[in-house]
Amino acid sequence: MQIAYYPGCSLHASSELYDIQCKKVFRQLGIELKEIEDWNCCGATSASKTDDFLSVALPARNLGIADASGLSEMLIPCSSCYNRTLVTQKILYEDPELKNKINIELSKKVEGKIRISSILDILVSKADSGEIAEKLIKKLEGLKPACYYGCLLTRFPGDIKISDNIENPQGMETVCKALGAEPIDWSYKTDCCGASAAVNDTDTSLFLMSKIIKDALEREANCFVTTCPMCQINMDAYQDQVCECYGIQKKLPVFFITELLGIAMGFTPQGMQLDRHFVDSLGLLKELKLI
Amino acid sequence: MSSSVLQFEPELSQPLIQEVMSRSGQNLLACYQCRRCAAGCPVGDETGVTPDRLIRMIILGEREEALNNLLVWKCVACYTCGTRCPNNIQTARINETLKQISKEAHIEPLLPKVSAFHDVFLRLTSHFGRVNELVFIGLYEMRNAKRELKHGGGWKAVADEMKNHAKLGISMMKKKRMHFQLNRVKRLSEIKRLFKKAKDEAGG
Ligand code: SF4
Ligand code: SF4
Repeated sequence: MQIAYYPGCSLHASSELYDIQCKKVFRQLGIELKEIEDWNCCGATSASKTDDFLSVALPARNLGIADASGLSEMLIPCSSCYNRTLVTQKILYEDPELKNKINIELSKKVEGKIRISSILDILVSKADSGEIAEKLIKKLEGLKPACYYGCLLTRFPGDIKISDNIENPQGMETVCKALGAEPIDWSYKTDCCGASAAVNDTDTSLFLMSKIIKDALEREANCFVTTCPMCQINMDAYQDQVCECYGIQKKLPVFFITELLGIAMGFTPQGMQLDRHFVDSLGLLKELKLI
Repeated sequence: MSSSVLQFEPELSQPLIQEVMSRSGQNLLACYQCRRCAAGCPVGDETGVTPDRLIRMIILGEREEALNNLLVWKCVACYTCGTRCPNNIQTARINETLKQISKEAHIEPLLPKVSAFHDVFLRLTSHFGRVNELVFIGLYEMRNAKRELKHGGGWKAVADEMKNHAKLGISMMKKKRMHFQLNRVKRLSEIKRLFKKAKDEAGG
């Protein structure tokens, strides 16, 4: 089966490993990800903070390209891109005038028919159907991830309904359990890591991350797992600094969900590119005899 | 932030509230000050002003305070306030609108780095159609350095900031998370047209 795929800027830059992992893991699940042609940046939160028209027009161009692909579903792994694109699709559905205004400028017009899926939408259905279990080579016994959703996977700047619980989502836990891991119960799973504030208002971001890390440690998680490239790089690259500023003694590796799937499906750590983490992730996997 | 008694001045409040409501699409008048938003706002402790308070300021026409408070600039757009608000008021959208108004009025932003970040991000999108992190950080740092030097922060402030990012840059390079290729969109003319239209929409 083929579905459309929008990687977004991070997955073609600092989170290239996530792009590679997504393609591998999905192929293993019988899904070929077909990257849409000539996609552009979705504008992320920067467009919303600067220009309302662009915050819709930029994702709209991608939606037009996706509609023209002829495929019926599109995976967007990055939470920020997913959020912006889904919100745009709804805005254009409700505002045909704006849709026309944007469509005039586009070579591939938005029709609004493609279904936008987050990575969890697809993985949860594959866990429920038993297809993930079929592909497992090993169980991730001893792994106690704190499933970290961040903001944009469940909360939207508009009225968008999702199938999971907004305050206490369970999708990632469902997938982790299907892999034989034991996700912990905790309070900061949908709290904010600061996103771009890590760069432009670092102290605020470090403070927010300190609360998340402290709670995960108190609940005895031995790692984080996330689906968002922004959350991953913030929690991974800045963890040293957070721990130093807030006197936190222990560090936790920050996995992409695809890495846990990959390891359980028998891919090598090299194949999953686990050496590209800031906080060492190989030590824990070795200790638990998972690699 | 002063905690002076807020004054209601209808002549002042009308234009501000109307502009914010129509641009943000949020019905501020529905707010009944229950403060569920305040309870969940992750930056509320730091900013002093919480979403409920900001909405009050706007309703009362306190234009200057509404544009110059830390919440507008520190809001991390987590959408917690809006998801929990019984009246569906998305303060993140209000903050976005206030940032735009203050930019249009050429008011110096309270946190200039925040506004530099988003400006540079969009500039790069207009040039390449995609954001290249390396070029982004370079341009963003240049913008900050220029401002520091102009406003008397001096070379030390510039060097400190650069040192921080250089450290991160080096570890990103070590972890092969730095990307040197320039990504760009092929049909750039389409992107340019969208940016031009955005300018026209904003009235010049
Ligand atoms: S939660 Fe909504 S109604 Fe309650 S104070 Fe905040 S904005 Fe007003
Ligand atoms: S969106 Fe902004 S104002 Fe609302 S809770 Fe988050 S940080 Fe606070």
